[in-house]
Amino acid sequence: MDLEDDTTVLTTLKSFNSFISRPEHPQRPSDHSAGSGNLQTQYKRSMELLEAADRVHSKNRYLQLDQEKKQMELSHKRARFELEKVASDSARDLEHEVDRNQELLGRIKKLEERETEAAKKLSEQVEANCALRKNLGGLNKKLEERDSRLSTSNQAISSLKDEIRELKQKTQNKDSTISTQTLENQELQEQLDLQRRKYQEVSQLCQSLQAAQTSCSEHIIKIKELETRLAFQEQDIAIVKTVKSEVARVPDLEKELKRLRDDNAFLRESRENCSLLKEEVEGLRRKLERMEKTKEELVNMELEKEKLQSWENLGQSTGLNIRKPEDLSREVIQIQQREIALKEQNYTLNSRVRSVERLQAELRAEVSQQRSKTLEEQKKREMQDALVRRLQKRVLLLTKERDGMRAILESYDSELAPTEYSPQLSKRLREAEDILQKTQNHNAEMEVCGPTLVELEMEALKKQQASAADSSSLATKEEVSILRQKIEDLEAERQRLEEQNNILEMRLERNNLQGDYDPVKTRVLHLKMNPTSVAKQQRQQEVESLREEVTHLRELVRSLQDGGALVHSQDDSSMHSSSLDLRKQMESSELRNQRLKEVFQRKIQEFRTVCYVLTGYQIDITTENQYRLTSVYAEHMDDSLLFKKTGPMGGSNGSMQLMETEFSKTLGEMVALHLHHQKSIPAFLSAVTLDLFSRQTTI
Amino acid sequence: MTSTLKGITLKGSAELVAEFFSFGINSILYQRGIYPPETFTRVTHYDMSLQLTTDPKLKNYLTNVVSQLKEWLFECTVQKLVLVITCLETNEVLERWQFDIECDKSAKESSVPREKSIKTIQDEIRSVIRQITATVTFLPLLEMPCAFDLLVYTDKDLVVPEKWEESGPQIINQSEEVRLRSFTTSIHKVNSMVAYKRTDSV
Repeated sequence: MDLEDDTTVLTTLKSFNSFISRPEHPQRPSDHSAGSGNLQTQYKRSMELLEAADRVHSKNRYLQLDQEKKQMELSHKRARFELEKVASDSARDLEHEVDRNQELLGRIKKLEERETEAAKKLSEQVEANCALRKNLGGLNKKLEERDSRLSTSNQAISSLKDEIRELKQKTQNKDSTISTQTLENQELQEQLDLQRRKYQEVSQLCQSLQAAQTSCSEHIIKIKELETRLAFQEQDIAIVKTVKSEVARVPDLEKELKRLRDDNAFLRESRENCSLLKEEVEGLRRKLERMEKTKEELVNMELEKEKLQSWENLGQSTGLNIRKPEDLSREVIQIQQREIALKEQNYTLNSRVRSVERLQAELRAEVSQQRSKTLEEQKKREMQDALVRRLQKRVLLLTKERDGMRAILESYDSELAPTEYSPQLSKRLREAEDILQKTQNHNAEMEVCGPTLVELEMEALKKQQASAADSSSLATKEEVSILRQKIEDLEAERQRLEEQNNILEMRLERNNLQGDYDPVKTRVLHLKMNPTSVAKQQRQQEVESLREEVTHLRELVRSLQDGGALVHSQDDSSMHSSSLDLRKQMESSELRNQRLKEVFQRKIQEFRTVCYVLTGYQIDITTENQYRLTSVYAEHMDDSLLFKKTGPMGGSNGSMQLMETEFSKTLGEMVALHLHHQKSIPAFLSAVTLDLFSRQTTI
Repeated sequence: MTSTLKGITLKGSAELVAEFFSFGINSILYQRGIYPPETFTRVTHYDMSLQLTTDPKLKNYLTNVVSQLKEWLFECTVQKLVLVITCLETNEVLERWQFDIECDKSAKESSVPREKSIKTIQDEIRSVIRQITATVTFLPLLEMPCAFDLLVYTDKDLVVPEKWEESGPQIINQSEEVRLRSFTTSIHKVNSMVAYKRTDSV
């Protein structure tokens, strides 16, 4: 029908197309025939046009109708489809119903079977009932027999009870006799005890008797002894009598004794008192000593206090800000230092004084020497004076002589004429005159020189004397001043030297601090094996080893650069190759592993699918020891059974337990039958599959 | 202690001083980080907690030196003990811990004990060790690996024992010196000081 429709549409389309293409042709002749203009043709043409318009109109209507028809057909189709759908649904419902019917029929069959089974069982039960009834009769008979036996046995029991009573009476009698006998026995035992006691007493008496006998013999011996003693006593009595007379004096003596004792006691008491008093005295003395000590201490303290006050006053008066003992000690130290400085000054001054005194002594000695010298000089002068006098005398004598000689000469001259004198004489005269002159010169010289010398000497001596005379005044003063200057110079030098010394000491100290030492006096030692040298050695070794390594490596690098590395790096290459081998092995093992994994996965998949196909259950492991089974014929995806493995882990004989799921709740009967009653999981599973299968494929 | 409570003999003094050196050297080594701090254990002595080394080699060395030093102290022939810290990389002396020892040689002749209680001496020693500990605040940091050596300045007439040899004074050029406290047993007086290389950065 559809095909026909299609064809009609196509034909209409063709006709429509033809219609559309047709009017082109008539238009052309109209264009060409405009010039002719005859009415016939125009009429014809208008008729044709009208006809064509009618045709178009009719065609349009036809088309409209056609479309309506198509719509109708479409609606019809839809209606048909819906109907068909409804028909198929109803057919499916019917099938379902049929299936259910079949199921119900199956159930009815099963129920019928069960009914027949139940009927069979009923008949069996009836039979069993009959048998049981028979048994009951037998048992009743047996019961009767037993009852008769029981009555006989009851009779026997009554007779036995009688016997028991008799026996009890007998036993009672016996008991009474036994009690009486035991009483007798007790009495006898008591008697026996009495007898024993008696025996013991007797034996004791016997022993006492023996003891008495022995004592008797002892007594006899004693009596003898006593007799001898008596004899002695008699002797003694005589003595006693003599003694008694003496004893008569005893009371007097006793009185004396008492008195003495009293005295003694009194003395003792007094002694004790005395000792007590002594102790007290000692205590007091100690106290006194202590008091004295404390007093002394107090006095000392007061003194100290006074001192301290004086210190305080001093501090206040001096304004040295002495508040604390430290300050005081500081002050004291300063004062001590000052004192030391002053002492040093004192010492220096003392030493100076001493040196001056020494100088003085020296000077005194010199003075005395000078004095002695002056004395000597005086002596010399006196001598000189004497000499001078003598010389003057001699000079006088000589002048006199000269005068005499001159007189003689003049007399000669006068006697002799001036012409008469001979040249010899004149010569002599001249000579004599020369000599005279010489002597005169000498004299003059003597006269001139002598006094001046002496005077000079005298002056010098006098000066010396003067200096010696007031040594303390002028000369000494000068000297002292000189000495002082010297001393000052020396002091200055000393200070300079001290400073220098200090500086040098500082330097020495510094050097000392830096560890310098005097190689003449000291020597520096250390252990040969000290940590520094050990550490240095280690370091050196390390450095050497590193250097060796570096050189080795350098060689290697060089050889590598040269390209001849193969020879040197054999071991390296072997190492490398071994590592490569190992890597290859690793890779191959990894590959194998991966392959195995793939194979396993494939196999497992295969196994699972096979299991699924063969048993109709897909088995998944949800968590450890829990397995989920999903049937092929499950009505829903979630319908599954959960099994848990209990018992020893990994053991093959662990029992499986069904866990409760939504699906398992609906299988109460099968669970009860197969699991609780038959205890077979495979049976349960196959029952479930059968059930599900039957549900799925109802005919 | 061989000395009595009241006085002190030469032997006791030598032992006290040697003991001080042992503890002092240990604490210097600890404070200056010459040996790692985990090789030291805490010990209470002189009423204060001190660090003692557990390094067996170092222990052996120190006992050797200190026992020899004790002998010399007893003979009064030792003048100085110096702990020298040298840089291993440059072989430069960085620090010198110097302990000048003044011996009263008259104590050798007369065996009369001096009157100074051990407690006061130990107090003095304690303050010296405290000062040693405090010096870390101003001494320059030892950045490079260092080792130490002990020098003993003795009298010239002393016979050099076996295992010992003469050495240089190991003087630091351009050093700063700091005097530390001193203590005396009235027989031996120990003046301590530290010299360290002047750093250019200051």
